This record gives sequence, structure tokens and C-alpha cells, in this order.
Amino acid sequence: MIRFADVSIKLGDFSLKNVNLEIKEGEFFTILGPTGTGKTVILELIAGLYRPDAGKVFINGVDAENIPPERREIGFVYQDYALFPHLNVYKNIAFGPQLGKIPSPIIKERVKDLADMLGISHLLKRFPGTLSGGEQQRVSLARAFIMKPRILLLDEPFGALDPNTKRMLCRELKKMHLQYRYTVVHVTHDFNEAGMLADRIGIILEGRVRQVGVSREVFENPLDQKVASFLGAEPLKTVFAG
Amino acid sequence: MKKNWWQDKFNLFMVAVAFFTFLFMMTAVATLMIKGLPQIGKALAAPEIQFAIRLSLYTSLISTAFCIVIAIPVAYVLARMDIPMKSFFNTLLDLPLALPPVVSGLCLLIIFGTTAFGAWLEEIDLSFVFTVKGIIMAQIFVNLPFMIRVMKSTILSVNPRLEFIARTLGCTPAQAFWKITLPLSKNGIIAGTVITWARALGEFGAALMLAGATRFRTETLPISLFLNMSTGDLEGAMAAANLLIIISIISLYIFNKFGGDFIGGTRGV
Ligand SMILES: Nc1ncnc2c1ncn2[C@@H]1O[C@H](COP(=O)(O)OP(=O)(O)OP(=O)(O)O)[C@@H](O)[C@H]1O
Ligand SMILES: [Mg+2]
Repeated sequence: MIRFADVSIKLGDFSLKNVNLEIKEGEFFTILGPTGTGKTVILELIAGLYRPDAGKVFINGVDAENIPPERREIGFVYQDYALFPHLNVYKNIAFGPQLGKIPSPIIKERVKDLADMLGISHLLKRFPGTLSGGEQQRVSLARAFIMKPRILLLDEPFGALDPNTKRMLCRELKKMHLQYRYTVVHVTHDFNEAGMLADRIGIILEGRVRQVGVSREVFENPLDQKVASFLGAEPLKTVFAG
Repeated sequence: MKKNWWQDKFNLFMVAVAFFTFLFMMTAVATLMIKGLPQIGKALAAPEIQFAIRLSLYTSLISTAFCIVIAIPVAYVLARMDIPMKSFFNTLLDLPLALPPVVSGLCLLIIFGTTAFGAWLEEIDLSFVFTVKGIIMAQIFVNLPFMIRVMKSTILSVNPRLEFIARTLGCTPAQAFWKITLPLSKNGIIAGTVITWARALGEFGAALMLAGATRFRTETLPISLFLNMSTGDLEGAMAAANLLIIISIISLYIFNKFGGDFIGGTRGV
């Protein structure tokens, strides 16, 4: 469980104001919002890149301030993938396990399984700089998945994919989520993607959480004018078509 | 540039200035090389030049090693950490870059030659005044800010999120630094090392003030050049000068090869 209690943080000119948010254990939570509203910053607060100026972030009831990022059991898939450019795909994926005492044949097997699942087994020897956006995205997913994190942070994980691959990966992701029941915090500006994946949705506008609720509810009953006009940017009918 | 640029007086003037500038620079270096290079074989056989080469190599390698080891943590702090008075420290670092080396040398001479701290160092057998250690100290003092600058811009060019991702994958801060930031700074480290080393080889002013110019004692290549000039041995001076020119050209080449893209250090590979 992740809980934001009155969290505020100022980064340069941007500020996130008094965020209160509760994400339940095992839930697929989607943060929806226009660009530049602090979605990535929220994920980074969960992962521990920043500490709040005011308020607290709790992870499983513990004040996260006392847990360094490496002990938060978090998998982070960044918007720009953030692959390690000096390591090939295999070493990127195996990076986490190789830090521990896991024997390398076991690591090899796990990398292979994940790579097969994500359709990147032919890329293992390549370097990130030579991959397409979609390929990098899948490597980034694999690198996070392999740690079997308790919390998965996905920052626009399907941004660079064509609609078919996207649908396929969405389904795969949903299936894995149902199977392993880790908590997912997922950021997107794609309403379809949100409708397809989310258990609950949080709408964030201009550094504030405006509305949180079960996804259908949020789409059908926007809390106020601002949320309505943000959601109104796309026809609502398409959202639940898929 | 336009096709008929020479028909324009303004363009003609600009090109003329550029042309004569390059011509002058080339002639100056080339004359010295043409006159000095044929004698370099003979000069190399002289025990004094051999001593100077050995001492230059010895001091510059040690001072460069110190510069690397000190510059990386300092640059990391300046590039990544939120410390108070950062702009003050940045300016302080730039100061030795702007200072004439003889002034830097005098600063060092005052610290090590006239203070209780210097006296104490002398007691524990770390004497810098008129010694080889003094040459090394002078080279470090003059070059360290330079190395820090190169390293700072290199580390700034590495996406800090990569280090953070490494943390989420289980790295301690130190592991993330060793496994991510340092390897991605490789080109900057190489470029900075080469240029620092070349500058250390040529360091004259500060070393002269702190370590003096004593034949077969504190006689590096530039000091040898100076000593030979002042005794009227133009040939010996030219030999040392030519060695320095050759080293400079080679190191500039290496610096450009690696330094050319250390700004884009995040791409690498
Ligand atoms: N470290 C930082 N220093 C200064 N400003 C920052 C920092 N990190 C983020 N910001 C600013 O905070 C604002 C919110 O950033 P954030 O990345 O969270 O937006 P976002 O909602 O993820 O947008 P997008 O959908 O475009 O990814 C932006 O204006 C960004 O420039
Ligand atoms: Mg973002």
C-alpha cells in the first residue's frame, strides 16, 4: 500500500501541492493528467528520488523517508526508458539480479524467459542506442519485471508503440498483474489505455489530485468542470469500447 | 559562404585577418621545429635532457594521478549535490584558472615556506620548497581546477536518472556511481587526463616559484628550456621546446578524439 499524506514538493518553478492519495495493495492504479502536471514527479516520490518538502509518503505503512530506493522493492519504467547506454540489452536486464548472489545460470534463464515473453530475445546482444523506441520500452519493462518488484511504476510505458503491439502488451501486462498481484502505479494520457487497465484512476491537474475513483465512475461523473473538460478532450464512448 | 565572397570588401577583410593569423601561428611553430628537429637526436643523447625528460614524466604522471583521484569526487559534488554556496565554490575553483601561474606558485611558496603548517609538513618529511615534491604540488595546484571542470561537465552530461534507476534495481549510492556514472564518464576522464598530463608537462611558472630551477635537481623540460636559454644554449632550449611541441600535438589529438563527444557522454558506446 502506498499513501501520500499532504505531500508537497517544489522543483524549480513547479510545485506539487498537498497531494493526498491512497493506492491499495495489489491494485492497478492509473494516474491520468495532461503534460507537465507532475505525474512523473509522483512516481519519483514513490521511488525515492525526491523527498517531500512537506507531508509524508508511506509504503506499506512505513514512512518512506527511512527506506532508501534500493530497499523499496520498486520497479521503475521511465517514460524515456533510461536504459544504461554502456551495457547491452542482456546486461541491462540482468543488472539487478547480478548485484545479488544469484548464480548466473539462473539469471540467464530468467532473462531468457522474460525476453521471450516480451519478444526481445533477438536483441540481447544489441546496445540500447541501436534499438527502436518500442524495443527500448520492452527492454526497460524486462529490466523492471526481473526484480519481481512489489510495486511497479510505469511512466507512459506504451507511448512509443503502435496500436497493435500496445494492445497486445496491455493484455499481457493485465494478465501478469492478475497473476502476481503486485501494485501498479501507471501514468498515461491515453484514456483508452486507462480504461482498459486501471482498477482505479486518479486525475491530476496542475500539481493537484482532482479526483480519484473507480475508472468508469471517473469517466462518467467528472467531479468538476476542470476534470470534465480534461476528460472531454476525447469522446468518452471510445474508452470502454475495447 | 557565398560564391563570390572576395568581391565584398568586408568579407575580404575578415578573411585576410584570419589568413594572417593562421600564417603567423604556423610559421612560429614551424620555424622552431625546422630549426630544432634535426638536432633532436643529438640533444636526446645529452644527460641533462634525459634527466629533464625523466623528471617531467615522473612528476606529470604523479600529479595527473592525483588530479584524477581528487577531481572526480569534487566534480561529483558540484554536479550532483545540493550544497550551500555552490556558486562561491565554483568561482573559487575557477580562480586558479585565471591566475597567472607565477602567482599560484607564490601562494604555494607562502603556505609551504613561511607558515607553521609548512614547518610541520617539513617535520614529517613532506617538504615542498625547492624539491621535486614541490614540482608535483605546483602541477596539481594549477591543473586540478581544470580537471575538475572537465569532470564536472562530463558528469553533468550523464542523465542522473540512470543512477537513480540503478538504485531502484538494488544499487547502493556507491555501487550506482561505480557501475553507471563512472563508466559513462569514461571519455571525459580520458580527455581530461590527457590534457591535464600535457599541461603538467609544460607547467613552468608555479613550479619555478615553489621548486626553483636547479640543474639536475628540479629540472623539468620547461625548466631546462629556461635554464638553457638563460645560459645562451639555444640548441638545448630548442630541443626541449620541440619535445614539448610534439607532446602537445599528440595530446591535443587525443583530447579532441575523446573530448569531442564527452559532452554527449550519455550516448556513449
Ligand atoms: N528536478 C526538477 N527540477 C525542476 N523542475 C522539475 C524537475 N522535475 C520536474 N520538474 C518540472 O515539474 C513539472 C512536472 O514534471 P513531470 O515530469 O512530473 O510532468 P508529467 O506530468 O510527467 O508530464 P509528461 O506527461 O509530459 O511526462 C514540469 O514542469 C517539469 O519541468
Ligand atoms: Mg512524465
